[in-house]
Amino acid sequence: MNSYAEIFRWRKQQIIEVSMNHQQLNELHDEIIEKTVELAMEKVQSELGSPPAPFAFFLMGSAGRFEQSVWSDQDHGIIFDGSNSCQFYFLTLGTEITNGLAEVGYERCDGLVMSSNPNWCQSIAGWKTQLVDWLNEASWKSLRHFSTFFDSRVLVGEVSFLTELKTEVFQVLRQQPSLYLRLVENVDFIKKGIGVFGQLLPELHGENTGTIQLKQTAFFPYVNALRLLALKDEMFEPSTISRFKELSFDAYPSIKSYQDNFIELLDFRLYFKKEAKNYQEVHLIHLDSLTKEDKQKLKQLMKKGYKLFSETKTIMEKECSTWS
Amino acid sequence: MELVLMDNLWVIIGTFLVLLMLGGFILLEAGSTRMKNAGHIAGKTIFTAGIGSLVFWAVGYGFIYGDGNWFIGLGNFFYGDASFSGEGLSPAVDFMFQMMFALVALTIAFGGFAERAKLSAYVIFAVLFSALIYPVVAHWIWGGGWLADHGKQDFAGSTVVHLTGAMAALAATIVLKPRIGKYNKDGSSNDIAGHNQVFTALGVLLLWVGWFGFNGASTFGVADAFFGFAILNTQLAAAAGAVAAMLVAWALTGKADVPTTLNGALAGLVAITAPAGFVNPWAAVVIGMIGGVIVVYSMKMFDKAKIDDPIFALSVHGTVGVWGTLANGLFAVPAFSTDIGWGQAGLFYGGGFTQLGVQAMGVVTSGLYAFIVAFIILKVMDKVMGGIRVTEEEEIIGLDMSEHGGYGYPENIPHPNDKQGA
Repeated sequence: MNSYAEIFRWRKQQIIEVSMNHQQLNELHDEIIEKTVELAMEKVQSELGSPPAPFAFFLMGSAGRFEQSVWSDQDHGIIFDGSNSCQFYFLTLGTEITNGLAEVGYERCDGLVMSSNPNWCQSIAGWKTQLVDWLNEASWKSLRHFSTFFDSRVLVGEVSFLTELKTEVFQVLRQQPSLYLRLVENVDFIKKGIGVFGQLLPELHGENTGTIQLKQTAFFPYVNALRLLALKDEMFEPSTISRFKELSFDAYPSIKSYQDNFIELLDFRLYFKKEAKNYQEVHLIHLDSLTKEDKQKLKQLMKKGYKLFSETKTIMEKECSTWS
Repeated sequence: MELVLMDNLWVIIGTFLVLLMLGGFILLEAGSTRMKNAGHIAGKTIFTAGIGSLVFWAVGYGFIYGDGNWFIGLGNFFYGDASFSGEGLSPAVDFMFQMMFALVALTIAFGGFAERAKLSAYVIFAVLFSALIYPVVAHWIWGGGWLADHGKQDFAGSTVVHLTGAMAALAATIVLKPRIGKYNKDGSSNDIAGHNQVFTALGVLLLWVGWFGFNGASTFGVADAFFGFAILNTQLAAAAGAVAAMLVAWALTGKADVPTTLNGALAGLVAITAPAGFVNPWAAVVIGMIGGVIVVYSMKMFDKAKIDDPIFALSVHGTVGVWGTLANGLFAVPAFSTDIGWGQAGLFYGGGFTQLGVQAMGVVTSGLYAFIVAFIILKVMDKVMGGIRVTEEEEIIGLDMSEHGGYGYPENIPHPNDKQGA
């Protein structure tokens, strides 16, 4: 395909066929993004020549976790193995990719987590310094950046670059286990989805009145819990499901039992939001669109998520108390 | 000191406390609305209190307490002298205390004007409300009018002050229509948050203290130190209202919402205003608690009905004012009603439905009168004045600027003449 518009048209044709299958849908997303990146690389190459150093283009956020719905926003970065003088080239590439992805239907990230941003487009050495700085600073913002970075996988280029960075991260955490607790605190606030009477709590004001924010109230507890466990058990896999799978049953019998709930939640979202028209809509479910049974199901999945997070917290706290 | 002088002293202290409630309203209303209107809200409250005082002196008091008929009093206009018979309250003390209630009712009514009415509308409505609306209802219930003959119980004014003010506010919100940006095209409503919850909370606290004068001095004397009992009931109801509203909001929405909690305290106070001297303390707790629950649902109901009530005056003073008045018909004990010749005991004390019926009739007739007359007045004003609402541009820049020429918080709002860049 020779233009972003062409990729976008292809996306529209293909996505209908896979919109009900989580695995196929995410494989398609990977394919679309890969084609876009390749086209962007060709464009930059024709202007600035070949890349001055080997590099890796990696995905983060829901794309990184292989958990995208029909619509998704952009979260990506670049790691290159070269001196800082190469940064200009890769930032140009990052900007081309960002613009290209926007054209093929991925909204730009509000938080600028994109390879067009110098913070997310660095040399291996630069990345290492930044990651260590983020962990040492341990502020709300720096840990948010860190968590975003950690749910990542390489889509194009050298897979080993990202592995090297994650290995570095695990080392820092091993030396300062108190950071695990800060990482727990960083995601401890969960937007309530269920009230004391067991009722769902929709938005009360504004354009989204009557809708449930699926991302914050249902997904975050699962995703955040498994990321924390992945950090502790030094897993390289970014997807929540593969993290579930990698956990040893003997060590976490109870945690493993939530895996099916998370798969159900993914299916639930796909089922209700397959016809969403944009990224904002993907995470909003209107209460009126749910039957009594659907509501029961959603509540059950939310409650399981809250329990999972709470159990994870206990595990992390226990572990940390044995280290200190 | 002679008992009668102590009576007078107590009621004048109550007068001061009730006047201070206007300070509570300033903080409450300014805190619950946006920064660009804060100076206007503070200033107009003082200004309209001035108008209300003069009108009450000229005709208001006379329409309530002058010799007249079942509908209105006539006489005692331009009231006031230094006379004192040596019995009861001196005319000046009584007059001052009564005037404060009229000012509170007026300020409640203006809650429905918030953030969009022209200053000139405030001026004219202050005159007409203080002359034609409040005094008529007050005459019916307190001035020897037709509802007084039926034994209507309203200790300190759940109906006379709060419901009357709220019904005028309702008429105003309907005539003025919602603020810009309150409702979306799809019918959903936006939360236009107030700019200072601390002001709102302090406003509530000031009102709470003022209410001790409002209800406590409505004993009109110190005999048997009964004022203490009325104040005890007042405190319990306010406390129960605050607690109930926060718990209900938390249970319903998952958020222990601060403005709702504050409205719960006010709801408890409004609810106990009619029954303060008629019920036992346990009943005061129940009345306040139910007030705190009702106010939450009422706020939701008005929001759904697309009636934009920026400071929740309709729910706090209107809906809960109705509840407070009806509560007498349920909880009034014989010792403070039948035995002293002020109406009947409530349903739960063997009084049957008689008093409840009288209370309901009082609510309906007083509420209807206040609403209809206020609505007609505002509609006529709207026609004659070429609209009582400011223009869209004025509403957007804020009433501080459009109506007064300067902001209440000048440092925090960019001046139109400030140059940006070169």
